[in-house]
Amino acid sequence: MISSLKLTEMCTHCGFCLETCPTYVVTRNEVHSPRGRIEAVRLGINSVGFETCMYCRLCETACPAGVKYGQIITPVRKSSTKKTLMEKMLENPKLLSKSLKLLDKVSSYPEVERFMKFIKPNEISEPLETNDEGDIILFPGCIESVIFRRTVEKAYKFLSKNYKIKIINGCCGLAHISNGNHEGARKLAMKLAEKVKGKKVITLQSNCAAFMKEYKEWFGIEINSNDFAEFLIKEGIELPKVSDTFTIHYPCHAYRQKLTTHIRNAVEKMGVKISEMEDPHFECGAGGDYWISHPKLSDMVINVKKEKIAKSKAKKVIVTNSVCALAIRSMGYDVYHIADLLDT
Amino acid sequence: MIEKLAEIVGEEWVISSDEAKLYSYPAFIPLKIEPPLVVLPGSEEEVISLVNFLNENNIKYLVRGSGTSLSGATTPTQGEVIISLTRLNRIYSLDNFEITVGPGLANFLINKTLSNPNLFYAPDPSSYVVSSIGGNISHDSGGMHTPKYGTTFDSVIKLRVLLSDGKVEEIGGNNFFDPTSIFVGAEGTLGVILRATLRLFPKPEVSKTLLAAFNSIDNAGKAVVSVYKSGVTPAAMEFLDKNSIIAIENTQYKANYPMAEAILLIELDGYSANVEEEEARVVKVVRENNGEVFIPKDDEEKNRWWWGRKGAFPSFAYYSPAYLTLDANVPRSTLPTMLRFTYEISKKYGLPVANSFHAGDGTLHPLIGFDPKNVDETINAIKAAEEITKLAIKLGGVPSGEHGIGIEKIKFMKLYYSEDDLTLMRRLKTVFDSKRLLNPCKLVPPAKNEICNTVNRVHTYLLEGDI
Repeated sequence: MISSLKLTEMCTHCGFCLETCPTYVVTRNEVHSPRGRIEAVRLGINSVGFETCMYCRLCETACPAGVKYGQIITPVRKSSTKKTLMEKMLENPKLLSKSLKLLDKVSSYPEVERFMKFIKPNEISEPLETNDEGDIILFPGCIESVIFRRTVEKAYKFLSKNYKIKIINGCCGLAHISNGNHEGARKLAMKLAEKVKGKKVITLQSNCAAFMKEYKEWFGIEINSNDFAEFLIKEGIELPKVSDTFTIHYPCHAYRQKLTTHIRNAVEKMGVKISEMEDPHFECGAGGDYWISHPKLSDMVINVKKEKIAKSKAKKVIVTNSVCALAIRSMGYDVYHIADLLDT
Repeated sequence: MIEKLAEIVGEEWVISSDEAKLYSYPAFIPLKIEPPLVVLPGSEEEVISLVNFLNENNIKYLVRGSGTSLSGATTPTQGEVIISLTRLNRIYSLDNFEITVGPGLANFLINKTLSNPNLFYAPDPSSYVVSSIGGNISHDSGGMHTPKYGTTFDSVIKLRVLLSDGKVEEIGGNNFFDPTSIFVGAEGTLGVILRATLRLFPKPEVSKTLLAAFNSIDNAGKAVVSVYKSGVTPAAMEFLDKNSIIAIENTQYKANYPMAEAILLIELDGYSANVEEEEARVVKVVRENNGEVFIPKDDEEKNRWWWGRKGAFPSFAYYSPAYLTLDANVPRSTLPTMLRFTYEISKKYGLPVANSFHAGDGTLHPLIGFDPKNVDETINAIKAAEEITKLAIKLGGVPSGEHGIGIEKIKFMKLYYSEDDLTLMRRLKTVFDSKRLLNPCKLVPPAKNEICNTVNRVHTYLLEGDI
């Protein structure tokens, strides 16, 4: 891969990225902007901006010069013991589930307190596991598998009508790459590629599918990944009709990978009445584990997002990525995955 | 000083560490100078306290918006403290055809947040997705729709300005000696714009796009003049030369333009009967000048053509990692002469050149490519720019049509204005900023007894050149 520093040469300092960046939008400060961070890499400054980046990479969608921001920022992000611990738990959803259940017993840590604002202890489950072999892999994703198990069950049930499904629980590595842990993400990607053996992978967290589509660019590994909605649309699967009004949120990485067209198509195919929010792709405020590590900035972004959703006047939000769902739920909205609507 | 500033704006809004370097330059790349400090006030009151403090202590300062200046108007060349007004981005009121906003608001957010869909804010510089209203006013920014709707100047009704003595004045909205005119385009050298009341236009009933392709720049140039002679004032009339077309077609902005020596993208808008008549006249004029007319088959094609035009600058990356963007405004009849000269200059210096510009109001945009890491090449690019701008002035043009003078074009002021004109400008500056603390050494060349520091060869060359 080309070095961070070399990649910064493509930036012409035009600033077109600024207003797409959630941390710039809430701080108006160059330090917390993509252009500022790229400049800091270029100058070799150890800027606080590297860690305040939410890693949504929406700036890349606005860049007229095609600057590879993700590849510039990743190597300068610093890992920590807490982050490594978090990554280990995400890699193993069963362990994650067990640890989360214990959390309310150790609520003296600020991180835990923060966690409890978004998740109730009684909604944590063991991930759904099956012994079946299958032609197609269902990859629920780390948080999805332990907090939204019912969604996983519904998706599994729906897909099993027509396909032999095997479930693989784990982490796609997006958390690792956003923490700057390139090697950890690469190892996960390699392991996953071995496990899926070239079979089609369906993810329930849209951002996982989006990141898997980037494996080739990051690690030279290819996985045939599909977001749930993408699979439904590409396979032309008949969908039940839903006569209700929703607004849709577009998860950041899925938006960058243009997977949101499929999400929208699937929702439209179901006959859902869509009430638009402002900038559906604007960062939800969760940013992976950012909502735990940077509570103040995260809350500021959550407030901006909340106002944008409010413009839709809808009460129900379709969110196909679990951490986004947690953030949007915390704003007082009811959140639904497309899979949640399949049995109505 | 840091403690005092932190007292005014809060500690987290003062940048004094290495990170101040991130404010070393806007979108004008050849010169980077680290400011001693950056402050980000969050209210008008904080700005007033800051300016009072800086003035009392004789500390130089400048005001910055989104940092998109192409002329270097916000490069801190004299060690100025930077006051970033990006946090003053509120929309205060919307009243019929007027909207009042803070200077830090990005241009595009006005139209995005307008609750009345039948109105729009007209000035649309290419940077409108990010450039701030304060910066647009300070540079009198133009854009594609100037032929019909004017530059930012024509859309400013009133301003709230903070003067160096700490007084806040509400100016504008009257017919006699309206002082808003001197603040529009002052590049932040006279005072601080705290608030602006802007004009909104009713949205046209119909908007129609035509593309005209020509096999010579002369024919395209003649067509530009003839369109006006036929009685049509287009909403926009954009010119792309072959080099620009090639660059666009080879990047993500690919528009599937017809390959030609030059194309004109023309937008006509207004009432449907008018637009029909204007279209007939434009088609006739284009054909009389041996051009071929194309009509977009659907909205998708129309949007792609305009998106391609918007991508003309970034697409220049196809030729070079960085570029200078000139913006001399010339009589429309001289366009072919000017374009030919840019190609000669390109050959002379061995630097790539492409032209994509606002033919409707005669604002040229020759892009001159260079490698910013190579000092000699950077200076060559500045020399090439100088020769082009000099010819533009000789042919009856002005040095800057929309990007401002800043540091990039300050040397041309002596060429365009008389010594009396410049003396008047200096006196005006002195009236508003007697201590010369506010963005000094920009816009108006210094008088003989005024000192402007230079930091390197590029800086020296920018200021003096070969005039």
